[in-house]
Amino acid sequence: MSDTANPTIDSARQDQPTPVKSVKPRIQAGSLTPYMFVTPAIIVMLGGLLYPIFMAFYLSFYDWEIGRPFSDAPAVGMANFIRMIQDEQVWEVLWVTLRFGFWTITIEMVLGIALALLLEKPIRGASFFRTIFILPLMVSPVVVGLIWRYLFDARSGWINYYLTTWFGMEPLVWLGDPQLAFFAIVFTDIWQWTPFIFIIIIAGLQALPSEVVEASEIDGANWWQQIFLVKLPMIQSIIVIALLMRIIDVFRGLEVMLIMTGGGPGRSTELLSLHIYKRAFETQQLGYASAIAVLLILVVFGLSLAILNFANPMKTRSDV
Amino acid sequence: MKLNLTSGIAALAALAFSIGVAWANPYKPYEGTTIVVSWPSNNHFKVAETLVEEFTEATGINVEIDYLQYLKLRDRQLLEMAQAEGEYDVVSWVVMWKGEYVNKGLLTPLSQMYTNAGLVDPDYDIDDIADAYLQNGGVVGGQLGYLPGKSGGLYGIPFGAETSILAYRKDILEEQGIEVPKTYDELIAAMTKLNEAGIPALTSRGATGHQVTAAWLFHLAPMGGRVFDKNWNPVVNSPEAVKAAEFLRHVVKTGPTGIPSYGFGDMTTAFLQGDAALYLDSLKIAALSRDETRSKVNGKVGYALHPTDARCGSETGGFAMGIPANSQNKEAAFLFIQWMTSKDADRRIVELGGDPIRISTLKENPMGFDEYPVVAEQLPCADPDWRPLIPEWNELNTDVLGQALTRVITTEDDVQAIMDEANDKIRAIMEREGYYAWQ
Repeated sequence: MSDTANPTIDSARQDQPTPVKSVKPRIQAGSLTPYMFVTPAIIVMLGGLLYPIFMAFYLSFYDWEIGRPFSDAPAVGMANFIRMIQDEQVWEVLWVTLRFGFWTITIEMVLGIALALLLEKPIRGASFFRTIFILPLMVSPVVVGLIWRYLFDARSGWINYYLTTWFGMEPLVWLGDPQLAFFAIVFTDIWQWTPFIFIIIIAGLQALPSEVVEASEIDGANWWQQIFLVKLPMIQSIIVIALLMRIIDVFRGLEVMLIMTGGGPGRSTELLSLHIYKRAFETQQLGYASAIAVLLILVVFGLSLAILNFANPMKTRSDV
Repeated sequence: MKLNLTSGIAALAALAFSIGVAWANPYKPYEGTTIVVSWPSNNHFKVAETLVEEFTEATGINVEIDYLQYLKLRDRQLLEMAQAEGEYDVVSWVVMWKGEYVNKGLLTPLSQMYTNAGLVDPDYDIDDIADAYLQNGGVVGGQLGYLPGKSGGLYGIPFGAETSILAYRKDILEEQGIEVPKTYDELIAAMTKLNEAGIPALTSRGATGHQVTAAWLFHLAPMGGRVFDKNWNPVVNSPEAVKAAEFLRHVVKTGPTGIPSYGFGDMTTAFLQGDAALYLDSLKIAALSRDETRSKVNGKVGYALHPTDARCGSETGGFAMGIPANSQNKEAAFLFIQWMTSKDADRRIVELGGDPIRISTLKENPMGFDEYPVVAEQLPCADPDWRPLIPEWNELNTDVLGQALTRVITTEDDVQAIMDEANDKIRAIMEREGYYAWQ
């Protein structure tokens, strides 16, 4: 039956010199090929990503100062972690970081999504505004810190200049007052990172199939209903990814605060990452800084897991 | 044979000549050597670059300078000096790091060089270098660990060192009928009067951490206070220390807007732009005031001694230069340091716009600067012990005092309570570091 059904294959089989030995290696080579392709990437990942994380864990069990050989650094077991738990400074800066993250990310998400919805349609000048809005994203964080430090300068900054000349207000000590300094770094972060949310969301909105939106229009959905019941649910996975990236970034970034306020006044603008930097390079306690870095990794990991659990983009994608 | 004898005599003569040349030129053995120098990128060290070129021309020793912003120097230097073979042959440190560097075994004791007669210039005259500068920047050991004593040793020579003086706007003080303050009481009165007239009085550092602590320490020493007593007990809650903190609060209330965010650059800019009538900090203000690209007050500034209270006592700070223990060119590095801090170089650096370290240069005053007579008078009572340069100082400075003093100047909280709390925190750190092991 099969002979008549597929004479070509049969004749091919007959031509083959029964290569039993050569079949096995061919199968092995075939199964190894994908691994060979990903090996360089895995090596880079292990070297560039996992090794530093492993070293952070490893160092956190030692009392090591820069300038001394690591071989002389005493192993201190859990002492760094116990000290960290008892250290009120760590909890203070963690609280500052969480507050900072809450305000910046909330406002950036709302503003970024709102701007994307406004500039989504091909209105006149949309491309001009899009370019303007993403400009802050192109500026290096160090330069952002310097620009805003001078803008917020109490004596000669533009902000105080206009507040005093236009509104007759007393000059405000923006970076020298704990509340105002916190406001200043939140404002600066929003200025720099709202465009990031905007650009991701607008890309998502523009990729939406127009049929769905048109169908909702035909069904009688108004503008608000289209946004909240059609568009935003459809780009939910993109919103979650943008949110995750911002959370990770808030815990990671320190350059702007380092330049603008140095974490002060007091610790009012000292984020966890800046605190780790100071512990490592100002007080030279690398082991202790590593222990706090482990806490940072755990906090970011925990928050990311919680969000993914709540709204996993992969899951959403498969549902769609 | 005759030919051999002649050539032998010629060879001996050549050898003798070359030895003679070598003796006449102590730099000859190091000609062609390249040394790498780690310097801060501030005005003094930038203008010294011309002097470095002159050094290379005269000695044949090449110099590569690695400039870094001064607060970044320490990380880089520590990393380099911790290697088996470091890149640097000369490092310039902020005086407060010297204890840590020596404690970690990273510096070469200069006694190793001073016992090598071939290296030491007999005309160098180390006694001419201002004593407070030498003690503050170069000496480690002694009973306190950072000042001279029988157990102390020399590790560096000051270069780019400084003390504090009072700078004032002659025009404003004259206009307001205010005498130049000689004491802290007079200074407080002047500040109050200026404030009442709507003129920002004394500019000051105030940013959290090192800056605000430095501002407080400037006043602590003349007010008779210290950070520790002789047994390493913290005394930052003493009446003198609380008085200095209260004075700092008064400075913020009567001074230019924004002091709690001012670093050294911000506070000098306030004075240079005409936004403050008084300045009490590093003598570097004088050179900055003369620089019309940065200053609106050139010709309007007068200089006076750091006001006294319980005693006279100005700060001693800035930089010193030494040789890393892992340098591969220690002799050439020493010759470089000796050249750069010699009498001739000190005079030359003044011409170039830098700061002298020698009493003879200050007295000679080759450029006729207004502040030099004041500095020469100030230096004998400059206090090398105005802050404790112990390895733990960085943590106490930024983490404890830097935070407490920010509370002093940004809140209305009780100063005594703030300083009591800081005192307890300092004691806990000192205990952790083993300072009370013998008590």
